[in-house]
Amino acid sequence: MKAELELIFEAILDGNMPGCTSGVQAALDAGISAPDILQIALIPAMDEVGKLFEEEEFFVPEMLVAARAMQAGLSMLKPLLVDSDVKPAGRVALGTVSGDLHDIGKNLVGMMLEGAGFEIVDLGTNVAPDRFIAAINDQNVQLVAMSALLTTTMPGMKKTVDAIAAAGLRDQVKIMVGGAPVNAEYAAEIGADGYAPDASQAASLARRLAP
Amino acid sequence: MDIAGVADFDKSMARIDAWYQSQILDRPPVRFMAHNAFLQQASEDISQLSSADRRAWWFDVETQVGLFAKSVEGRRFYGETFPVFFPNLGPEVYAAFYGAELVFGEVTSWSVPLIGDWQDMDRLAFDRNNIYFRKLEELTKCALERSQGRFMVGYTDLHPGIDCAAAWRDPQQLCLDLFDAPEQVKRLTQIAIDDFVEIYDHFDAMLKASGQLSVSWMGLPSRGKMHIPSADFSSLISPDFFKEFVLPVHRQELGGMTHNVYHVDGKGVARHMDDIIGLGDVHAVQWVQGVGDDQPIMQWLPLIKGLQQQGMPVIVDLNKKELPQFIEAMSPEGIFLWVAADDEEEEQRLLKLVEGWR
Repeated sequence: MKAELELIFEAILDGNMPGCTSGVQAALDAGISAPDILQIALIPAMDEVGKLFEEEEFFVPEMLVAARAMQAGLSMLKPLLVDSDVKPAGRVALGTVSGDLHDIGKNLVGMMLEGAGFEIVDLGTNVAPDRFIAAINDQNVQLVAMSALLTTTMPGMKKTVDAIAAAGLRDQVKIMVGGAPVNAEYAAEIGADGYAPDASQAASLARRLAP
Repeated sequence: MDIAGVADFDKSMARIDAWYQSQILDRPPVRFMAHNAFLQQASEDISQLSSADRRAWWFDVETQVGLFAKSVEGRRFYGETFPVFFPNLGPEVYAAFYGAELVFGEVTSWSVPLIGDWQDMDRLAFDRNNIYFRKLEELTKCALERSQGRFMVGYTDLHPGIDCAAAWRDPQQLCLDLFDAPEQVKRLTQIAIDDFVEIYDHFDAMLKASGQLSVSWMGLPSRGKMHIPSADFSSLISPDFFKEFVLPVHRQELGGMTHNVYHVDGKGVARHMDDIIGLGDVHAVQWVQGVGDDQPIMQWLPLIKGLQQQGMPVIVDLNKKELPQFIEAMSPEGIFLWVAADDEEEEQRLLKLVEGWR
C-alpha cells in the first residue's frame, strides 16, 4: 500500500478525522485516483474496524469515531467517484421498525455499510412498512435492512416483510434483519433473507446478498 | 409484616436475608414474574392513545395505583414473590428531574436529550418542584395510603451517573464525547450523581415513615437500604472506558447502601463484571441473559458459577422450560431464581421442584 493510503488507513483506525481528510487530500495531490483511495484505503480500513469489533478490540465508541473519519474522507471523494463512474456496491433502505425508537445499532449498520461501498437510504426510527415500500418503489433500493431492539417491536419486521410481499415487491429486494432480540431462526421464520448479529457482520451479509 | 396473599412473609424474608449472605435457609428463593401484569386491568389500549393522552394516562395517579391494586386483589403470591407497587415514569426519570422531557410509550418512556452544547450543562439543576419528581411523590403518597396490608410500596427506578449522562446527551453522541471531550463527560456524570443520595433518601424516608421496607422494581426487599445500580450504557464501551468514566461515579452511588443488587443487563455489561465486583460495595448481581441468541441460560453457566465461586449472590432470570436442566447442572448456593409461570398451580409445581434442589 502506498504511504498516502497507509496514512488514511491508520487515521481511520485511530478515529482521526483530520488525519483522514488530510490523508485523502495528500493522496489526491499525489495523483492517486478516488476509486483507488476508496478501494485500497477506506473500505479495507472499515473492514479492519469490523474485524476488531468482532474480536472485542474495538467497541461502539471506537467504531463510531472510525466511521466518522471514514465518512469525512468519503465526502471528499464522492464528487470524484461520480465523475469516475464507480458503481456503489448496492443501495440499502435502512430503518428501525415501527414502534422502536432505538437508533444507535441502526446507525452503526449504516456506517459499516457505507464503509463497505453501499449507498444508504436512512429511513430513521419508528419506520412503518409503507415507508420501506415507498423506498423500494421510489429510490431503487436492492436491499432492505431492518433493526429492532425490543421483543415488543420485533413483530414489526414480519409485518414489513409481509407488506413488501403483498405489494408485489418481494422479488426486487433482499431483506436483512438484526437487533438484540433477533436471531437467525427468527429471520428465517419471518421470511427474511439473512440475519446479522452486529454491524460488522451486517456489512459482510449485505455483500453476500447484494445483486 | 402481613401482606394479603403472601402466606408467610417473614419466612420469605428470612430466605432473602440468608440469600444476601450467600446462604440457604431451606431452599433458594424464587420469584414468579408477571411483567406489567397491571396493564391487563386497563380499560383502554394504551398503545392506541395519542401521545398527549398517553402522558396523561401515565400521570393519572388514581389510575396507576388503582390498576395495580386491582391486579393484586385476591391473588396468592408464592415463593418470594410480593405485591410491590413502585411509582414508575420510566427508566430515564432521573434525567427528567433536571429538565429533560419524557416521551411516553405503552410500557416505558424515553427522554429527549437536552445537552446540545457543553455550555448547556450550566443549566442542569435538580429541582424538587420538577413535574416528574412531584408526580413520583404523588404516586408514592397515594400508593402508601391505599397499600395498607394489601401491597408493598417501593421507590422508583433511578439511573444516575453514566446512563443519566447518556440520556441528557444522547447515547451515540456520548460515545463520541468519550474521545472528543472526556473532561466534559466526567463533569456531566458528576452532575448526574451529585444529588443521588438526596433523591434516594427523600423517597426512602417517605417509605420508611410508613413502615415500608426498602424495595423497588425488582420486588426484592431489604430491611436496610436496597439499591439497584446499573450502567446499561456500559454495554457499548471498553473495559478501559468503564474504569475511567463509570467506576468513579459508581463508587459515589454505592456507598451508604445496605444492599446494592447490580443489574447486569446482558453480555455487553457482563464484560465489566470483574470491575463491578471489584467495587466491593456490590452485594448481589442480577444477571439478565437477554433474548435471541443470548438464550438459553445454559450458555451462561460459567459466568454464574464464577459468581458463585466468589460468594456473590446472583439472581438468575430463566425460562421455566430451562429450570430442570439448570437445577441439574448447578448447585443452589447463592442463586435466586426468577421464573415466569402461567398460573398459581404451575408456580406451586415449580416451587416443589426447587425444594428438592440440592
